[in-house]
Amino acid sequence: MRLAKLASVCTGLLVAGAMSTAAFAEQQLFVYTSMKESLIGSLKAAFVAKYPDIKMDHQSAGAGKLMAKIAAERESGKILADVLWTSEVPDFYQLKKDGLLLPYISPETKGAINPLPDYDGSFTAARLGTLGIAYNTRFVKTPPKAWADLKKPAFKNAFGVANPALSGTAYMSVALLSKTFGWEYFEALRKNGAKMGKGSGQVVDDTASGELLASLGVDYITLDKVKKGATLGLAYPQEMLVIPSPVAIFKNTPNLDAAKKFVDFLLSKEGQEIVAKNGTLPVRTDVKVPPEYGLPPVADAVKRSIKVDYPALIAEKEATVKKFTEIMQKK
Amino acid sequence: MTTAVPAAQPRFGTAQILLALSVAILVIVVAVPVLLIFFNAFWVQGQFNVVDVIKVLSQHETYQALLNSLILASGVTVTGTIVGTFFAWLVTRTDLPFKGTMKVLFLVPFMLPSFIGALAWKMLLSPRSGYINRLFMDLLGLDGPVFDIYTYGGIILVETMYLFPFVFIQVAGALERMDPTLEESARISGADLFTITRKITIPLVMPSILSGSLLIMLYSMAHFGTVAVLGIEVGIYNIPTLIYEKIHQSAGSFASIRTGTVLASVLVVTAAFIMWLQNKVLARGKYQIIAGKSFRPSELKLRGLRVPMLLFCIAYIGFTIVLPTVTIFMVGGLRTYGLPFTAENMTLDNYKFILFDWQLTRDAIWNSVSLGFSAALITMTAGVIISYVIVKMKVRGKGILEFLGMLPFSVPGSVIALGVILAWSGKFGVNIYNTVWIILVAYIARYMAFSLKANSAALEQVHDSLVEAARASGATMWQALKDIVVPLVRPGMLAAFFLIFLPALRELTVSVLLYGPTTRTIGVAIYTLNEDGETVYSAALAGIALIIIVFGESVIKRLFKVGRKG
Repeated sequence: MRLAKLASVCTGLLVAGAMSTAAFAEQQLFVYTSMKESLIGSLKAAFVAKYPDIKMDHQSAGAGKLMAKIAAERESGKILADVLWTSEVPDFYQLKKDGLLLPYISPETKGAINPLPDYDGSFTAARLGTLGIAYNTRFVKTPPKAWADLKKPAFKNAFGVANPALSGTAYMSVALLSKTFGWEYFEALRKNGAKMGKGSGQVVDDTASGELLASLGVDYITLDKVKKGATLGLAYPQEMLVIPSPVAIFKNTPNLDAAKKFVDFLLSKEGQEIVAKNGTLPVRTDVKVPPEYGLPPVADAVKRSIKVDYPALIAEKEATVKKFTEIMQKK
Repeated sequence: MTTAVPAAQPRFGTAQILLALSVAILVIVVAVPVLLIFFNAFWVQGQFNVVDVIKVLSQHETYQALLNSLILASGVTVTGTIVGTFFAWLVTRTDLPFKGTMKVLFLVPFMLPSFIGALAWKMLLSPRSGYINRLFMDLLGLDGPVFDIYTYGGIILVETMYLFPFVFIQVAGALERMDPTLEESARISGADLFTITRKITIPLVMPSILSGSLLIMLYSMAHFGTVAVLGIEVGIYNIPTLIYEKIHQSAGSFASIRTGTVLASVLVVTAAFIMWLQNKVLARGKYQIIAGKSFRPSELKLRGLRVPMLLFCIAYIGFTIVLPTVTIFMVGGLRTYGLPFTAENMTLDNYKFILFDWQLTRDAIWNSVSLGFSAALITMTAGVIISYVIVKMKVRGKGILEFLGMLPFSVPGSVIALGVILAWSGKFGVNIYNTVWIILVAYIARYMAFSLKANSAALEQVHDSLVEAARASGATMWQALKDIVVPLVRPGMLAAFFLIFLPALRELTVSVLLYGPTTRTIGVAIYTLNEDGETVYSAALAGIALIIIVFGESVIKRLFKVGRKG
């Protein structure tokens, strides 16, 4: 019996320990983000090094999953996240409309580009994500140059787009490409055997393995794998997909000070340099992307980018996802 | 039989307290969540409503998921039964060399979580990049894949590999225990082998085959992992994967939870039906297999087939166990997925990263270990109390307990998960959503059945006279329990502990519906990393999980051996 008692005390401690690892740091911060570990991990390391008294945690998942999580948390009365950072811009307009975001104009915004209309500090672009055609260089000898190239037999049954219900960048890309080239474009892709995958990382990994020959690839996800030796190339057609990833603070956060510090840090020169070093475009003009990535300079990318009609985007969000899914599930 | 409790007793004696406690535990942990599912499925705005249920069921999506569950489960049941029966026969009734070793090896698939197997097979047999497909395409210059794993056939194949031991164990046991004189007397009377097999052996073993295959069916119907890894991408959903998709993508809206509860109800009813069928089969079969341990059953001489059959078994084990395991470890060591396995592409960095540097995976390992440990300890303790009331006590109201105790046996994991979401996310005053506690509650509900089974078996062997003797000598009920019963059932309790701890370590179906930002389990981490395209990390974590599982499993084996000797 004594053994059992000891064991139950141990269990109590174990479980309590599991829950309370955060309880001792002075400040806490919880970030929900769609950024992958390579990017958010290095940002977190630098941030925690700068503010050792802040205990930062993050949940990294596709924008769709995060929004579902947030909706469920709203339902149960408490949003766990203090800060949200994804690429699904319409979500932020919706959250702002629902009065869930705290307007905060960081002193660091002075040095940053703002691509978002009606800016009031509710959310601030912290990165300009670009998407190109990621292709496997082992099998694709002539890199695709235009979006139309994907309709060619060279990519028969071998082009993938992430599921826009899961991935914010995929959703934005689908919305922009369908606005520019019409739904006929995706219908033609589907006729050529294009597939809808799961998350934005997964289609790139499938391209790296050769399961797909090409996919709609997010810049830093693709380039991170290239850095590790993957035989991948990233091609940007003339009409560029440049998607701002806004960061926002939730209104009811109990950790406002830490949240503000994080947003400041993210937009600072130091933070943006980490963003750039990972292979995605910074929002600051005084930060340069390492040339070996072959990313176009910010000004050039913005000039080439497909212009975003935000009000229309927000209004048509669900319809866009539905239409795309319908097309891609056609036999 | 005399009763352990004297007839004239105070109104609220130990017996009543134990009974009340047991009922309370089972009601709160198991019955309430399941009832809430039915309630949510059939009651709309305070009214009983079947029309809506039918409406949900007739939607293409739900209807297709039901059909898929049925197709996959029947497919796996048929193939698993054939494979399991064949190998069981081979290791018990033939002169196959190294039979003992082979028998142990055929049980290894039980240790491997099938979703990790699915992950490995995805790497081996995905149509364009799977290593096996690649190999054949390069060697033979084929245009298309040899085998596409993203199909019904692929899913059935993978599930069969990891579920056939259900039939194997049952049938091998039956064939070993079968009274050989029955067959012998038939032979003496002049029947040939074919007649003996048809008229004696098969009828005798049939109940075991059937009960094993029903277990496979039960498991496969409610199985999440393999279908999630291999089916979702090409649009093959079964009931648990559709529940997952609904809960995760539609933000907990009423409509999606309702669809979830309707699907869950179907799952419960099907599972209950299978359980009922199994009980019927077992009840019928019980007296037919006579435990005739005195003779060894006659063995069929394989003659020229001995070596080929051995090679076949070795090839089967190599193909279904060794190959996938090696693949997992190799891919886990790649710098990035898609590189060829050459020395400069291999690294231990992934293993180092997920074990020491990455918060997500470190949390996951810690969560799974502490959850498994806590769930096992709590469930073991509660299981002893409840089993004691069921097996040993004569108190009024025990019938309810017996029914409640049976309930967890037939409730699939996704149903329990959905039930605890309904019960514990604030609607009834307690909100533990997003915390580890909700997973703990779900695990207790899910594994209660294991604990009841192990503890009841142990308790049935403790004769009532021992407690009576203690009571007659003046011990209180509590003292008798503490000093007589508990020491005697300790092996059963220990068995229950590990029967829960190990499966909980690799659990996916329940936790994938319940995890929050900081409460991923090992299973969830492997699954979500794979979904996010972090294939090498997901493989490395799977490799580490395999090491933990195999290590745990061998520790128990040793522990039990020592225990038995002592």
